[in-house]
Amino acid sequence: MTSQNSEQNWDIFCAVVDNYGDIGVTWRLAKQLSAEQKINVTLWVDDLNSFQHILPHLDPNQVTQSHCGIKINQWSEPLKIDYKVGDVLIEAFACELPAQVKQQLVTAKQAYFDNSKNKKPPVWLNLEYLSAESWVEGCHGLPSMQASGIKKYFYFPGFSDKTGGLICEKTLFTDREHWQLDTQNRQNLFKSLGLTGIDETDTVISVFSYESSALLALCQHWQANDTKTHALIPKGRSLNSLQSILPCSIDELTPGMQIAFGNLVIHILPMTDQEGYDKLLWSCDFNIVRGEDSFLRAQWAAKPFIWHIYEQEEDYHLIKLDAFMQLYCNNLPSELAMSWKGLNLAFNQEQAALTCEYWQQLNLADLPLQQHAKQWPIDAINDVDLVSRLVQFVKNS
Amino acid sequence: MKTAHELRPGNVIMLDGSPWVVQKTETTRSGRNAAIVKLKLKHVLQDSSTESTFKGEDKMEDIILERLDCTYSYFADPMYVFMDAEYNQYDVEAENLGDAAAYIVDGMEENCQVTFYEGKAISVELPTSVVREVTYTEPSARGDTSGKVMKPATITGGGTLSVADFVKTGDMIEIDTRTNEFKKRV
Repeated sequence: MTSQNSEQNWDIFCAVVDNYGDIGVTWRLAKQLSAEQKINVTLWVDDLNSFQHILPHLDPNQVTQSHCGIKINQWSEPLKIDYKVGDVLIEAFACELPAQVKQQLVTAKQAYFDNSKNKKPPVWLNLEYLSAESWVEGCHGLPSMQASGIKKYFYFPGFSDKTGGLICEKTLFTDREHWQLDTQNRQNLFKSLGLTGIDETDTVISVFSYESSALLALCQHWQANDTKTHALIPKGRSLNSLQSILPCSIDELTPGMQIAFGNLVIHILPMTDQEGYDKLLWSCDFNIVRGEDSFLRAQWAAKPFIWHIYEQEEDYHLIKLDAFMQLYCNNLPSELAMSWKGLNLAFNQEQAALTCEYWQQLNLADLPLQQHAKQWPIDAINDVDLVSRLVQFVKNS
Repeated sequence: MKTAHELRPGNVIMLDGSPWVVQKTETTRSGRNAAIVKLKLKHVLQDSSTESTFKGEDKMEDIILERLDCTYSYFADPMYVFMDAEYNQYDVEAENLGDAAAYIVDGMEENCQVTFYEGKAISVELPTSVVREVTYTEPSARGDTSGKVMKPATITGGGTLSVADFVKTGDMIEIDTRTNEFKKRV
């Protein structure tokens, strides 16, 4: 952190498409830029109601407000608050910037062209989705000349040093380790979330997926298991798959409710902020996650997981899933790798019977699996996190 | 205007007031089906090349330049020589052909379009489909099926692509030159 950064103004534009994914990533990015790099960040968001789910203190009716040192502006068309060019402009996930913003870029470029004493136009970046595919290395950091003559850079998060890295706060791994060393933390967290009746020896699984018949099959499998299993599920898309075994409609479910089936207890999980969700992932024995933000946080939790990837046309998401699985399983014993890959693939393809078969093969208490889950974050972060790389990238641009 | 997704090798686009010829396009999918297009571009007037990334739906001005229907004559390293109906010859730098070079073979009969900028031949656009002989591919692993199993193959001219599992060495196949994709056996 430098005094130079504290004079920097960055704008991040985020269009919410799938509730928590886009806003989840951009909110973490904004917080880390502000806290660790001392950059003045303004986050423009088009759906404050969704944002409020992960930032409960946010008032969706306020056009502008500040939280955690970050200015949050409602992005509406036309903008109710004037955009003033800063030092960096990030469009998250290729969202289309408002016409007013683009016009400001052109004006700033022209003013700088006319007189270099005028403020430089901002470094313009498109922060892309995370992918483990090899093509990402070839596209990361490339300029994209726009019709206006202004360069935009494509910034790709990724797992290698030829990519933009992964979002990870500086103290996250040590915080997690401290948390996991004391089993009382887990009990305290469950209690604070209104989750009762969970013994220390019980298996606890967090579920944040899209709809999948494989989830229903897994629940039925856990129900008949020898060990007691608790599935922690927030109100949302995962429960849509379980309607047939629920005693009431999803609307009637409330956080804290418990539904018991044999050796399985489904707990209706209250929504938490991002820090709370991280702790939940650290505290469970296994996590089922979706999208991009929770997918990465599951990796940082150092616990085994299933990634329910966002479905794409022509099953392209399976290519993305496979690219990640190849990378993740590099140092995993082959039999274990086969079970873990098989489980992820079967779940994503809604192959109910196969999902249960691979689940049975994957022993959660297996030491190499646990060790791998702990080592993976260290390998994946590859020394430098995304925010540090991003600040350096901007300096060099 | 063309979207980045629609651009093909041989197209010429204006970027920041300069003409650039598209030499190579690579389209990949980002999240939520959004396309990312990586272009290799060569400045028409200067000896400089660049790689750029665009959103698939980014629009850019494609320049309508003078074009002539030509046939390929011969290769005089580093120039490919094309000839129009009046037997005028035009030299195109090998580098400017980009990915299209893989389909330029001796004796080819397909008409190509040679593009001119200020009187100079700068690029060549191929017909959207060509027929080429498979010079090598591994024997079928599954027999003569019509399924979607694909395998690598080399074609006349040295280009490579994925072909259906039933294709054999010596077969003539139709290829979409815009995507380098196998269309059918002919």
